[in-house]
Amino acid sequence: MPRARIGNRIRRLRFERGEMTQEELAARAGCTRQTIIALEQGKYVPSIELAFKIARTFGVTLEEVFQYEE
Amino acid sequence: MSISQKTAWAQLGIFGALVIGWVVLFAVEGTIFYWQDETMMMAFYWLCAAAFAGLVVMNVTAVIVKSRTGAITDERDRAIFRRASLWATGTSYSVVVALLLVLAIYYMNDGSDVISVYFPLLIVIVGGVTLLLTQAVAALLLYGRKVNHA
Repeated sequence: MPRARIGNRIRRLRFERGEMTQEELAARAGCTRQTIIALEQGKYVPSIELAFKIARTFGVTLEEVFQYEE
Repeated sequence: MSISQKTAWAQLGIFGALVIGWVVLFAVEGTIFYWQDETMMMAFYWLCAAAFAGLVVMNVTAVIVKSRTGAITDERDRAIFRRASLWATGTSYSVVVALLLVLAIYYMNDGSDVISVYFPLLIVIVGGVTLLLTQAVAALLLYGRKVNHA
């Protein structure tokens, strides 16, 4: 059975919002900059809570930030 | 590098140095079976005490740095710490069981029914150090790998 992957558009969304820094996004979402880096590199799959916080920081829905790929 | 990563590096440094200290001690003072030697015993205890003091200083420093700089640990740090602790517990448990078996087999082959009173204490200390050392190594490895929150 192939493993599912959760991708995200965080880097693109940051640049679409006036090149928001990773530090700024981390502060607004309540996590560390290292976690934002890990998310952008696809090295971390966040909790639902953090996923919602990131989506709300960008003012978009959850699925506009995170994609479930099989 | 997050504060949790720095803490893991410090923990690795402290307990890595302790293990190196043990190896040097056993190399200089003879094998572990000359444990009753007073100098060796005291040197061993001082090394353990120094490592324990280092662990306390490290944790107090981490708390002070967090409160002064506002550095935070988040869910990823906690997920990594949880997984590293699981690895460390399994490894430590295996090491303790292996040491107990080796000790039992060694003394049984020797035809003895008794063991030195120091060995149970030594095994507990080695188990604890294995736990903390493995936890630090596992955490640092996990920071470089893919981790899921769950």
